[in-house]
Amino acid sequence: MSEQPGAQTLNDYLERITGRPDAGLRFLDRGEKAHQVGWAEVRDRARAVCGGLQELGVQPGDRVALVFPTGLDFFAAFFGTLLAGAVPAPLYPPVRLGRLDEYLRRTARMLEVTKAVLVLADIRVKRILGESVALARPRLGCRTLDELPREDGRPVAVAPSDLALIQFSSGTTVDPKPVALSHRAIVAQTEILNGFWQDTETLRHSCVSWLPLYHDMGLIGCVFPALSREAELTLLGPELFVARPALWLRAISRYRATISPAPNFAYGLCVHRIADAEMEGVDLSCWQTALNGAEPVAPSVLRAFVDRFARWGFRPEALTPVYGLSEAALAVTFSDIGARFRCRRFDRDALSRSGAAREVADGREIVSVGRPVPGFRVSLRDEDGREMPSGRIGRVWIQGPSLMDGYLDDPATTARALRDGWLDTGDLGFFHPPDETGELFLAGRAKDVVILRGRNHAPDEIERAADGLPGFRTGCAIAASWLPEGAEGELLALFVEVSRTASDAELAALPERCREAVLTATGLAVDRVEVLAPGTLPRTSSGKLRRQEALRLYLAGALTPPQPVTPLRMAKAMARSGIAYARFRWSRPGETPSG
Amino acid sequence: MSDEAILSGIAEVARRHLDWQGPFTPEMRLVEDLRLDSVRLLTLAIEVENRFRVLLDEADEGRIETIGDLVGIVRRKLGV
Repeated sequence: MSEQPGAQTLNDYLERITGRPDAGLRFLDRGEKAHQVGWAEVRDRARAVCGGLQELGVQPGDRVALVFPTGLDFFAAFFGTLLAGAVPAPLYPPVRLGRLDEYLRRTARMLEVTKAVLVLADIRVKRILGESVALARPRLGCRTLDELPREDGRPVAVAPSDLALIQFSSGTTVDPKPVALSHRAIVAQTEILNGFWQDTETLRHSCVSWLPLYHDMGLIGCVFPALSREAELTLLGPELFVARPALWLRAISRYRATISPAPNFAYGLCVHRIADAEMEGVDLSCWQTALNGAEPVAPSVLRAFVDRFARWGFRPEALTPVYGLSEAALAVTFSDIGARFRCRRFDRDALSRSGAAREVADGREIVSVGRPVPGFRVSLRDEDGREMPSGRIGRVWIQGPSLMDGYLDDPATTARALRDGWLDTGDLGFFHPPDETGELFLAGRAKDVVILRGRNHAPDEIERAADGLPGFRTGCAIAASWLPEGAEGELLALFVEVSRTASDAELAALPERCREAVLTATGLAVDRVEVLAPGTLPRTSSGKLRRQEALRLYLAGALTPPQPVTPLRMAKAMARSGIAYARFRWSRPGETPSG
Repeated sequence: MSDEAILSGIAEVARRHLDWQGPFTPEMRLVEDLRLDSVRLLTLAIEVENRFRVLLDEADEGRIETIGDLVGIVRRKLGV
């Protein structure tokens, strides 16, 4: 066990590298050829980048945007930036084929929000970034690593409270929320994670990951724990995994990896897109911990993955559903490592009506995401921040040593999320059983975010795509996603109101036009489009659309237009009951139809 | 390799890796007509590279909108 107390910053981890010959990074290409790089070489490359940045004029505290595919250059740029005392902001490289305009706009917006003084990019990426860089005008421009001056670096001392990383929790042009994490937070999270896979005399844990390095699960979940233990980490690019999921499992087998995390959708992709022939000679018995997080975990996917891959040695107890979020650096709860995942069924009516968790034989099945990781506390609160009675659904509030400092340069949004050292995650959950042994079950979201394939998307962007379509009532769309029972992943729905002057032909064409517009603008495929009469979508008293309420009504089959008040309807309502009458009177057009 | 051969190679990639079953003609657009989301566009790019043993250049890719554009890029990369 390589217990190394004392590291307080990511830079400390780098300084402690001893240069073990049996560990380091391994990059796999599409032909599964490996390129190995020791951690000492990573450090040396980072020192060279640090020198170049300093010569160029990068000051401690400056923000540097990084746009690289998975590869050694990302590491040199990332750690070089840290050694110079600056703050790296990894952004994602362009998607393949098309939608370049949207990518450039989005990247420009992210550069602007991070106030990056410099963009470091891969040469291929740099060629197309011109427009974004021109829009955001970072003071020191955009450079490849080869274009940095060659000077010896003088690593800058950093404090645990200094910023170490800027991460975008969802890539968006409308309302970007860059999460600012300190060295202290990241080191705390890294040590928490390493506590779950301690090296022994006979076993040194090793990790395989295809996760993007601009995403918390890939960077904080895989890279930093490996660096801090000077362990082995095998990486392949996300694009290779998506095109050929078998490469992931083959890498785990070939390099006898013990740990590999991925979001729910990745396990589903493996079930559907890997042929037996691709698994020849694969032995997954080494895989002790298959973490599953970053998006809601579907019980059906867990079971399908076990059924499909048990014959190649996959152990069901390896599957470990977890819960975390960028704002907490990463992990908040883990289910028991080495134990089989637990699903329970809960009374649907009780869940949706009274928010009570009651176990029943034929209820809605939910996967446990376990208990808080060491140092973290989870509390369930109501809308006003008061603790919920046990066994009830509440907003998941968390407290722990790796919480973010806040959203970058955005005290107002930060104040809404962070209160008295607690973070309101915007997720909904409950403990079951409702005592001190209780595990966390997630029951949905109170926050407006669309989660698809492990990535968060702002609903505004999806909704705006519909603006200007013939027959659409501009500004009156709601995008929401949810995990339906029995489904393998979240579905994306778009609720649109029609304009009062829409023609029949426009109405008929609207769903298809919406799908096309969303796909073109965001690259996301809408699963369901619901065309609604004007005034149907629930709004707040100030006229703002209420997304979660719309989704709730839709799932309850109650997303219907407000009914004009007529004498006949009044009479009917009065006849039904006094309560119904009271409700009827108080429901105004545009408000939620109650009951 | 002729344009027809490249087109039919790409069509096979689409059928095999994207479960595309409809018509497949040069003027069809990848996003609007083939209904490819980000993940499927990525799959198409990687599998076309694998099949023709070429490396597409991200700088060119942003301008690829139709199947015909993709055929043209592959032809250029193959040097034919």
